Amino acid sequence: MPLVCSPWHRPAVAAWIVLVSGAASSAAVDFQRDVQPLLARRCYACHGPDEQESGLRLDGRAAASATLDSGQRAIVPGDPAASAMLSRVTSNDPDLRMPPEGEPLSATQVEMLRAWIVAGADWPEHWAFRPVSRPDVPMDDAAAHDDGLNPIDAFITVALDRRGLQRPRPAPKAALLRRATYSVTGLPPTEAEMRDFLGDESPGAWERVVDRLLASPHYGEHWARHWLDLVRYADTNSFERDGGKPHAWRYRDYVIRAFNHDKPYDLFLVEQVAGDELPNPSSDALVATGWYRLGLWDDEPADKLQARFDWLDDLVSTAGQTFLGLTINCARCHDHKIDPLPQRDYYALLAFFHNITPMGDRQMNPDFIERALPDEGGSLAEVRDHEEEIARRRNEARANIKAIERRLEEHGPQALDDLTRRDLDTWKQLLAEIDAEDRKRPRGLVVTEYGTEAPDTFILFRGNPHAEPATEHRVTPGFPRILGAAAPTIVPVPEANSSGRRTALARWLASAENPLTARVMVNRVWQHHFGRGIVRSPSNFGLMGDPPTHPELLDWLASEFVAGGWRLKRLHRLILLSAAYRAATTGDETSATRDPLNDAFWRFDPRRLSAEELRDSIHVASGVFNPKMYGPGVFPDIPAEVKAGQSKPGDGWGTSPTAEQCRRSVYIHVKRSLITPILADFDLADPDTPCPVRFTTTQPTQALGMMNGSFLQGQARLFAARARQEALAAATQPGSADADTARIVRRVIEIALVRRATEAEVARGVALVNRLEEADGVSPSRALELYCLMVLNMNEFAYLD
Amino acid sequence: MPPTDRPAGQFCRRTRREFLWQAGGSFTGLALAGLLDQTFFARQTRAADGTPYANPLAAKLPHLAPRAKSVIFLFMYGGPSHVDTFDYKPALYPLDGQTVKVKTKGRGGERSESRVVGPKWKFSRYGQCGKWVSDLFPHVARHVDDIAFVHSMTADSPIHGSAMLQMNSGKIQSGAPCLGSWVTYGLGSENENLPGFVVMLDPTGGPISGAKNWASGFMPATYQGTLLRSKGPPILDLAPPDDMPLEAQRALLDALRAENTAHLLSRGDNTELAARIAAYELAWKMQEHAPEAVNLARETEETKRLYGLDTPRTADFGRRCLLARRLVERGVRFVQLYSGGAHNDDNWDAHGDLVKNHEFHAGNTDQPVAALLTDLKRSGLLDTTLVIWGGEFGRQPTAEYAEGTGRDHNALGFTMWMAGGGIKGGVSVGETDELGSAAIAPVEGEKPGFHVKRLHATVLHCLGLDPNRLSYFFGGLDQKLVGVEPVEPIREVLA
Repeated sequence: MPLVCSPWHRPAVAAWIVLVSGAASSAAVDFQRDVQPLLARRCYACHGPDEQESGLRLDGRAAASATLDSGQRAIVPGDPAASAMLSRVTSNDPDLRMPPEGEPLSATQVEMLRAWIVAGADWPEHWAFRPVSRPDVPMDDAAAHDDGLNPIDAFITVALDRRGLQRPRPAPKAALLRRATYSVTGLPPTEAEMRDFLGDESPGAWERVVDRLLASPHYGEHWARHWLDLVRYADTNSFERDGGKPHAWRYRDYVIRAFNHDKPYDLFLVEQVAGDELPNPSSDALVATGWYRLGLWDDEPADKLQARFDWLDDLVSTAGQTFLGLTINCARCHDHKIDPLPQRDYYALLAFFHNITPMGDRQMNPDFIERALPDEGGSLAEVRDHEEEIARRRNEARANIKAIERRLEEHGPQALDDLTRRDLDTWKQLLAEIDAEDRKRPRGLVVTEYGTEAPDTFILFRGNPHAEPATEHRVTPGFPRILGAAAPTIVPVPEANSSGRRTALARWLASAENPLTARVMVNRVWQHHFGRGIVRSPSNFGLMGDPPTHPELLDWLASEFVAGGWRLKRLHRLILLSAAYRAATTGDETSATRDPLNDAFWRFDPRRLSAEELRDSIHVASGVFNPKMYGPGVFPDIPAEVKAGQSKPGDGWGTSPTAEQCRRSVYIHVKRSLITPILADFDLADPDTPCPVRFTTTQPTQALGMMNGSFLQGQARLFAARARQEALAAATQPGSADADTARIVRRVIEIALVRRATEAEVARGVALVNRLEEADGVSPSRALELYCLMVLNMNEFAYLD
Repeated sequence: MPPTDRPAGQFCRRTRREFLWQAGGSFTGLALAGLLDQTFFARQTRAADGTPYANPLAAKLPHLAPRAKSVIFLFMYGGPSHVDTFDYKPALYPLDGQTVKVKTKGRGGERSESRVVGPKWKFSRYGQCGKWVSDLFPHVARHVDDIAFVHSMTADSPIHGSAMLQMNSGKIQSGAPCLGSWVTYGLGSENENLPGFVVMLDPTGGPISGAKNWASGFMPATYQGTLLRSKGPPILDLAPPDDMPLEAQRALLDALRAENTAHLLSRGDNTELAARIAAYELAWKMQEHAPEAVNLARETEETKRLYGLDTPRTADFGRRCLLARRLVERGVRFVQLYSGGAHNDDNWDAHGDLVKNHEFHAGNTDQPVAALLTDLKRSGLLDTTLVIWGGEFGRQPTAEYAEGTGRDHNALGFTMWMAGGGIKGGVSVGETDELGSAAIAPVEGEKPGFHVKRLHATVLHCLGLDPNRLSYFFGGLDQKLVGVEPVEPIREVLA
């Protein structure tokens, strides 16, 4: 059989051809890409880290090839005939055939296993648990330079060439600018920016655009939202009352600022995990620890201890998935069924958080979760002095008030002369002033601990917090064993009244030696530019996750990220300047047939705008967009029909002035049980659990909202007024009605789609407006509004090339 | 894949035959399930990580031969008192006013002794099965031969917020998909002009935690419940505003389709764009057909009277029950109706005057619920429609306060009932102790009662879905409505 690629070649088919021909089989099968995911998905549930049916364990070479009680061996490297696994997966007896659930393995899968065993059953350690390597860039500088490629492209091009796929064509400039402006800032380019870029044929034009975009304050707003998805940001607690979390918005602002100021990612992590334990923590460092307070909180739990451990589990899950790409949450009740994460690792990680105070008991406890923040450059010591002074003055005022009131109680009103009465009023006024002064000082939502001594943590049998703890099940804070880190050194931090445990965790998370942190983050950055990560499961780098499509590139980026001081803007720049990012969304048919999922990046994947991008872009088009940054959450109008779903309609929802409602969606107050409809319709992340990848659903209810909903109807009206005003102001002389309509239509297209309108389009637009005017009850101005509504609904408006 | 010297039939501590039984029940079932594994489930479960998927609401084949196609969940929000409705406790009457030793756990905390409030209504026997039903439900009582009562329900929380979430989603925290989401995820919808999962609220307002009770959590929004109003435009944004007449809207949609089709020409491989074009046409059809589903003009006067539309007390719930029948008739998969909304006595939460509260809510709903059963039965729909009645928990046999008849919450034992597709009528399973304070174990030493998970497993089972296999990959886990430990349906109520 021929080994060359034929037009109908697909990866799986190719592997089969290679295998049955018996040639170069070891090169064709990649354990990490082909074998391990198959074993993980189909075998580990019964023969993995947690369970070993019949004594068989298939998650390591030694165990998998050991002699079992039966005398057989599942895998005998180099000897397929002696490998019992192969006879079991191919058995025709349904009582014998493995796996017992689901379809039997396909012929291709079986042959792949056979080839792998023939080749010696090579079993390298899982890629994500190995230290990050620094692969050589597989192309020499001169060649790359000639082709206008950067190191990223070297990795991608080599893989494309290897698979016989064509290198992508560059995207048209207009599409590229629109794509990049959205992927960096979440907003459309302005018409002036488009004009400038299209007209700039000089060298370095694209670099200048990239630098301009990364310097935009809108960059932080957009990328903060990606982070907020991961940390399940919300301003309320969910459950019955879904009450507000005080000052949570400052955490949101902290994240925006961190991105805009290009805060090194290692510091960004350290501040969130242990900012309060830093020496003389800044306001930022304290606010960052609000990370611990963002999740669900049950103020009235049926089982307090259970609720406490559910709350801690939420922290462990979020930290594991977000920082490390590990689903360590699966090891709460038993050893992880797929990944080498024993239950002990889960509780060792939980121990880092065990000393953290809860949100409160029934009521949120301000002493636990709130803190006055130092001024810029100020210290916590000053805050404490100030607070003590306030407390002293407050106590004095209260004591005086109390004394006078007691006299009043004991002796009646006649006991007070006018002077004392005036005294009482003065003290009361003073108290009000003190309170007002106190309230003026900014406060943050923060983490606190019970003290420098942390409680013992035990492995809980089946995850049950009521299980009797056993001494041998006591664990100390520690990192997942598989990652090979040294045991943490923990130094209590008396100044912060805390155990110092979280500092140890933070330092390890943010270390260059951690094999996961940098890989996970560069993959997320890649994901939000390209629509998918190099690892498609960005919060699961374990065995059930998707293997990287470009492992060397991932490692190269991770090492580059760390070497560059964990600076994200540098990483963005590298990505944005690559030919891969600048690729067209169209490609050749052969590539589409051979690689339909675009694993190889033979083109750029088109995408729909996110919920926020869509809403913000509508505001931009209608001309009411308000770029004001930061501050407490805003409340867009929510239709009464939606609020009717609450047990107290409107409860916990405020009203904001119209201009405030036109601010970016990232500033909307996130009430867990009341999500703004257009955002919910377009797949906003559910705020209750960490969301690594948003859905992109397409459904008729979206269309209903986009056509009939009050938000779109109102915006279309504003958009029409704006377009009319701009189109006619620019007209030098009054024209016929049709000429005016044509001008307005042209302007609508220019504004909404940031490009010139074609004559044909304008003619279609004018025809539509005229036709609408013929419909019952549609005035000429209303017809234009409806035309604007149509444009806001266009796929071209909602999708990026 | 164990090369093993144990009997070949051993798998996961079950015999192969047991496994086959649990996995499929029959050869066909297993073959079908296997097929689904490779296609539908495999694709769906990967979607969370970005793999494109299509037509998430297209009707899908179940795992097993289904007994029911649709569910109507009559949610008695607030928690009806079981000892005053369907769980007859003769021993309780003579104890009225006496303080007895009994362990209770409610919103007011745990207690070990309290004053008994004797049942406030008389019970009589009904039907061939001789079921005892209180005077609160004279109409429903006539259907006991079609109903299976589960008297030993248990839940994890006696607090409304978390108990509501558990009854609706299996978990006491928010963030998980609701029963209706799981059902539409598993089976899709048979009518593309209507949502697959519909929720109708009480006129007094939504339940505590609002939209969390019909959220799709970590699943896509496609599977979330849609609020349907019984008056005015039934669905949010369904009706175009007055200044956009239908003729104009159609012209707009035609123009939009033309622009989008032109845009698609050079992007033919992007199926999402084509799907979005189709979605606008579907929306247009929904706009046309959904109002028909809620238009009662073609119902006979007799039917309207049956549901109590002619009486102010029953008109609202009757209307919603009738709508539920019309929705199920049109292929809607999961309909949830709330009796009671908002707070306190606006729902079944009888902390104050038990008689006043329960007379009110039972009086509003008894005739409509009975009418729904009658109507479903005479139209043959009851065979394929599973009707569920109950609240998030029951109430204690004892008084909450020193004075009065108010009862606190009780999640240790309460009653729910089911009727219709897949359910055996005229049976009562499980029991509470003689005071009705807590479920007792059917066999000494076993776990008492039937947990909410068992109810959920029963619902899925009746719909042909294996509760232990219907899973959705999220957060590194194959998430299931019933949780990770295998859960059996309540076999005693299955037909």
